[in-house]
Amino acid sequence: MVIEMKRKILTIFPYAFLALILVPALAGACSVCVTGGDNDPTSNAFNWSVLFLMATPYTVVGSIAGWLFFKYRRAAAKPREEAAREPALHLTWNEEESGR
Amino acid sequence: MAKTSTARRIDEPLEDIERRRPGFGVGEPPPVLPQTPIGNNVWLAVLMFLGAEAMFFAGLMGAYIVFRVGAAVWPPPFQPRLPVGVTGVNTVFLLASAVTIRVALRSARRGDGTQLVRWLGLTALLGAIFLAVQGYEWIELIQFGLTVSSSVYGGLFYTLIGFHALHVFGALVWLMVVFTLARRGRYAKDRYLGVQTCAMYWTFVVALWPALYGLVYLY
Repeated sequence: MVIEMKRKILTIFPYAFLALILVPALAGACSVCVTGGDNDPTSNAFNWSVLFLMATPYTVVGSIAGWLFFKYRRAAAKPREEAAREPALHLTWNEEESGR
Repeated sequence: MAKTSTARRIDEPLEDIERRRPGFGVGEPPPVLPQTPIGNNVWLAVLMFLGAEAMFFAGLMGAYIVFRVGAAVWPPPFQPRLPVGVTGVNTVFLLASAVTIRVALRSARRGDGTQLVRWLGLTALLGAIFLAVQGYEWIELIQFGLTVSSSVYGGLFYTLIGFHALHVFGALVWLMVVFTLARRGRYAKDRYLGVQTCAMYWTFVVALWPALYGLVYLY
């Protein structure tokens, strides 16, 4: 009896699953499917809001990463600039060393 | 081994030149450049905090966009219009305070305590003017019937603009603390982290305002 029941459930389950995939509106799978299509102002509003909220984390993280990268490049360039200010050739004789 | 092909200082020992000569597995590893830290933990923490704040305001703006774009008529009927002109002038005051705080930070980097105090004071004054004008506007709007519970329009307005005003107030308190410490001479040329982090936060609240003004008042 129990085995029979299990078999029935297992037979129905794939069909039910397929139906849910094919008819998402009936399943209530989409939070904004209650609105009336593409031209509906509420759908449009949700779309713009979702796009804005989707773009914001990338903008925030990108800005922070960009700023850190900029700071890193500037900090890394500092020792090179200091090294570039060093004379290319140290002469054995100069006024400072000779004490004149 | 001939050593004449390598350009060298006249007084440089030959062993050093040999060590510098490139080769596979020969000589010392390349020199490691000294690492200059790009910031410190406090600086990084403030940056992360500002990221979280940006997300918070993005959430509020997202909610505003849903109601604004979805509404057939905006502002809703029988609701007062927002004072665009006065707020526009107020925006100029706030934007000017971003310039003055940068000048103050530059003064701190130079170690010029007098200029630092002066520019911090001017920034605080501009911020206080912004808040005062905002407060006056709110009183007017409430008298015209725009309250938090009057409509979605009022609720969104007071939530979005109110949270920003709260942030400006918080930044102003922080700025006053930094101003007081600067007057006591607590900052120097190599010790101005308090000014720097405060300037970061202030710049954030100022940079946020044009986006809010454009969305709530102009759109």
